[in-house]
Amino acid sequence: MKTQKESIFKNAGFQSILAAILCIVIGLFIGFLVLLAINPAGAGEAIVTIMRNFLNYPTRPAQMKYLGNTLVKTAPLLMCALSINFCYKVGLFNIGAAGQYVAGAGACLYAALALELPWYICLLCAMVAGGIFGTIVGFLKAYANVNEVIAGIMLNWIGLYLVNMLLAGVKEQASPYTFNLSSTNTAAILPTLGLEKFFSNNKYVTIAVPLSILIAIVLYIILTKTKFGYELQATGFNKDAAKYAGMNEKRNMILTLMIGGALAGTGAAFLYLTGFEQWQTTASSVPSMGFNGIAATFLGGLHPIGTIFASYFIQHITSGGAYLDKAIYPSQISELISAIIIYLCGFVLFFKFAMNKRVDAAQERRKAAAENAAAKGGESK
Amino acid sequence: MILLIQYTLIFASVLTLVALGGCFSEHSGVINLGLEGTMVMGALGGALTLKALTGAPYIVIVLAAILVSALSGLLYTVLLGVASIHFKADQTLVGTAMNILATAAATVMVKAINMAENPDNVSATIQYVNSKRALIVRIGNFEFNWFMLVAVIALICSYVLLYKTRFGLRLMACGENPQAADSVGINVFKMRWAGVLISGILGGIGGIVYITAGVSEWKFETGVAGFGFLALAVMIFGQWKPTNIGLAALLFGFFRALSNVYSGFPFLAALKIPGTIYNMMPYIISLIVLAFTSKNSRAPKAEGIPYDKSTR
Amino acid sequence: MDETYAIEMLHITKRFPGIIANDDVTIQLKRGEIHALLGENGAGKSTLMSVLFGLYQAEEGTIRKDGKEVKINNPNDANDLGIGMVHQHFKLVQCFTVLDNIMLGVETVKGGLLEKNEARKKVMALSEKYGLMVDPDAKIEDITVGMQQRTEILKMLYRDNEILIFDEPTAVLTPQEIEELMQIMRNLSAEGKSILFISHKLNEIMEVADRCSVLRRGKYIGTVDIKDTNKAELSRMMVGRDVQLVVDKQDAKPKETVLKVENMTVASKVHKNNAVKNVSLEVRAGEIVCIAGIDGNGQTEFVYGLTGLEPLVSGKITLEGQDITHASIRSRSKEMSHIPEDRHKHGLVLDYSLEYNMVLQRYFEPEFVSGAGFLKKKNIRDYATRLIDEYDVRSGQGPITIARSMSGGNQQKAIIARELDKQHKLLVAVQPTRGLDVGAIENIHAQLIKQRDEGAAVLLVSLELEEVMNVSDRILVMYEGEIVGELDPRTTTAEELGLYMAGAKKTDRKEVHA
Repeated sequence: MKTQKESIFKNAGFQSILAAILCIVIGLFIGFLVLLAINPAGAGEAIVTIMRNFLNYPTRPAQMKYLGNTLVKTAPLLMCALSINFCYKVGLFNIGAAGQYVAGAGACLYAALALELPWYICLLCAMVAGGIFGTIVGFLKAYANVNEVIAGIMLNWIGLYLVNMLLAGVKEQASPYTFNLSSTNTAAILPTLGLEKFFSNNKYVTIAVPLSILIAIVLYIILTKTKFGYELQATGFNKDAAKYAGMNEKRNMILTLMIGGALAGTGAAFLYLTGFEQWQTTASSVPSMGFNGIAATFLGGLHPIGTIFASYFIQHITSGGAYLDKAIYPSQISELISAIIIYLCGFVLFFKFAMNKRVDAAQERRKAAAENAAAKGGESK
Repeated sequence: MILLIQYTLIFASVLTLVALGGCFSEHSGVINLGLEGTMVMGALGGALTLKALTGAPYIVIVLAAILVSALSGLLYTVLLGVASIHFKADQTLVGTAMNILATAAATVMVKAINMAENPDNVSATIQYVNSKRALIVRIGNFEFNWFMLVAVIALICSYVLLYKTRFGLRLMACGENPQAADSVGINVFKMRWAGVLISGILGGIGGIVYITAGVSEWKFETGVAGFGFLALAVMIFGQWKPTNIGLAALLFGFFRALSNVYSGFPFLAALKIPGTIYNMMPYIISLIVLAFTSKNSRAPKAEGIPYDKSTR
Repeated sequence: MDETYAIEMLHITKRFPGIIANDDVTIQLKRGEIHALLGENGAGKSTLMSVLFGLYQAEEGTIRKDGKEVKINNPNDANDLGIGMVHQHFKLVQCFTVLDNIMLGVETVKGGLLEKNEARKKVMALSEKYGLMVDPDAKIEDITVGMQQRTEILKMLYRDNEILIFDEPTAVLTPQEIEELMQIMRNLSAEGKSILFISHKLNEIMEVADRCSVLRRGKYIGTVDIKDTNKAELSRMMVGRDVQLVVDKQDAKPKETVLKVENMTVASKVHKNNAVKNVSLEVRAGEIVCIAGIDGNGQTEFVYGLTGLEPLVSGKITLEGQDITHASIRSRSKEMSHIPEDRHKHGLVLDYSLEYNMVLQRYFEPEFVSGAGFLKKKNIRDYATRLIDEYDVRSGQGPITIARSMSGGNQQKAIIARELDKQHKLLVAVQPTRGLDVGAIENIHAQLIKQRDEGAAVLLVSLELEEVMNVSDRILVMYEGEIVGELDPRTTTAEELGLYMAGAKKTDRKEVHA
């Protein structure tokens, strides 16, 4: 193998990281401008506050505790992102992850609060519920040619209303929120395995955090190292060629969306089975977790490992928004920033394309110059 | 009963407007999944106008609200146009970003405005009780809303524009086969911009119609509760044709209205079907319809595919 | 100033990164003549026409219209100069009517609304004048390819274009339609229109053109008067050497039957009728059976049915004595290799590396995957490297080259390497030489004959008369989904074959072979 020295700018991994950083910087900058517009005096401090997140606390134990909180919410986000990432590799845009997440939330909370089952069964329920939602999209896509984006969107809303209805029976009298896990069924809370000790006894830090990272790594291995991954990506790149090669492209499509759904569903269990949040049965919009997953996926360069960091970052600034002085700045600034980052991710492909073109042009010029020089050398002999 | 008709008509108006917006965008070849966000922005612009014009003559209020919300929607869809037409961005991704962004941005803006007026008011709510009267004409028990007329006009105009004019012919050519359009000298980028911006105008108006449909204040944290997506369903159900879109909007509007007023009907209340079922119905229906019709869908053939001059 | 020329392209040079597509090319089109532009695939014909039509700008050279220098920056400029083009892939909107397509871009408007009556009258008058029969109110998706092409011609005439470019117009037509097109072209030139006719088919050029310019690898070779030349000279100009028109091969020695197809019927995706009707045939070990026919007569669907890409409506397929009628694609591929018609659609995963493409039909075998489902990357690399060497597949970075970045010829070589190396008793090769240059074609023909001599049964599907006559041992002609005749290439003539392909002749085949 001859190894031609490639410019680092042509390296796909390097390009992804560069693009991600660029998106983040621009996103933060626009956020800063908005802060400036609202109140110029505190804008600089405010943007730093968002980026510091848990570091806003003076003592180390407090910092660790709130880092824990950020991680607790990173785990479900990562799962949604992985769901979207996995499906995208097979050429499917799983916008339905939001609905699969909702289905998972409904199933695990119902299992925990109404049926009073232990955590592993609840987790399984969430996985199955999300998987079913994904499978519906897969079936519609494979056998009725329904666009997965449209089917996913419809199911997001169906899921939301279904879960609101399902959980209406296990909500508190005075509020629209579901019962608290710790007072209803402690067996349904995910085990911590002592992890809370690292986070100043933050009991919400459970196995969900390491588990989600582990799942990301496993997905990466499946996609790049196995026969299953070979088939899935072939189907994603070229469905007809996959069929020609004897792969069952319909089955692969359904399987992919089933796995994607299960991932998103599990993500919901990773949040709601910690007791960190309760479900609001009057919710009139689909939780943003699934959509933020899209942000994390694309920001992570559509790479499972990159997605881990991207998910953490998105959650980091989202949590950071809560530390803003509410009398001056709305906390939704951080949502605004992550929305801008998603928007900018749309430009990444173009960015890479432009970068490749520049590098190619530069190489072409160098090559032409070298040939010219050689030709001249030849003439002079 | 009158209430049911009234709600059906007003919701149908919203859906007609927004679905027509989606229809224009898709006929030009760009999928506007950001209709939800476009509505939010239109609603924001409209609501602020209503609030600002409290006490003005009714005709001014109505026209200004329409104008400002249309303009807000139009400006917002520039985001979609830039990304999807010139930078070949994934339209699903951009649409999703627009939906999240709109709610976040509207919330931030409203909160900032509210706080500037009164430091103790940190809500994201705009009230327009007084101006709302301008929109309504009472005919007996029936509240006629000027926006219903707007929707009908938009429907007729869209039909004429798409099928009877040069613009419509060229627009649809860009959504079906942009290479063909380009080869006869039509500027595909320009036509796609036109489609996207019209979707912004109609989506924006749809937004203000929606938030003034039943209530007289709006909490912007909730966005527009999925109505943009419902409009997308209406558009598909209507097979990208204005007349069918009008009919589909009536059907879906009816279900939506039922969920608001079913408790007023003794026989429906007696069924003890939760309101959420009626909310769910339109989505379920469109999913079922999609399952049966998607094999030979009439969707514009080139929609969602960025136009690249070099592939001609 | 010489005003006998309608359009002149003088010393045109157009470069793309890495290649010179047109190198100092000069073409002069006389008013009222039919001027053929001949060259192999990749010779630079399309680039040159794109320059004329304003899709590309040349780095060097000038274009003159009626002796005056002009700049053509986009298709609108070309249109303003009266240049029109029938593209190889029609530029028509499927769901519009013929009239809408013709009007598109030059619509007549009255009071803001489209005014179609005048346009309809003009179209009717034009179609009468030039013998172009089309229904202006039919939708494009409902009419035949020939009628679609006439719509394209009407589009040019409606715009009063004087210079008409036809880019490979006969590739998609039946022989009758080709004959009609030739007549239309003659009518047009008789009315004073100047025609540029791009083709690589010598027969058609000899029949219809007045003069012919030849391109080879981007270079201008020369222009000749058709009445002073012959096919041999033209082909020598096109290829650059004497073309071996006869393939060197021994007579076939067929042995046992490998493939038996009985009464196969396959539904069509395009229309409501069946695309393949009641087809029966046999292929034996050691022979090349060729299915000949005009494109779109059911060959594609027949292969889909045979290889399992589409289900059968009825019929039975037996391979090596096994009934495979309902077998999966994977199980069929154990004994059947398939070089697909469309290498981009079926043959390759373009975004995969070359090595991953090389194992596309074998990745699941124990050689390449462990029991736990992990790919054995080293074995894949070794295997791909061996095939690349053996079949001389050229690429930028060897096995890790992304398939998309390879040239069409090397992509095809990769597919052929993969399919030939794989174990098989039957080789199904569908248009294996499509879009390749002469050298590559000769090589592939030799490979097919080698396969036959080593005892494989070969089923070749081809649209090229020459290939059919030269390579096959038996010819089956397919017309409108049926086998209408069986011919022996040693005794039949191209003319006879043509009659069968056009459906003008038909023989009953009681039984295929004993």
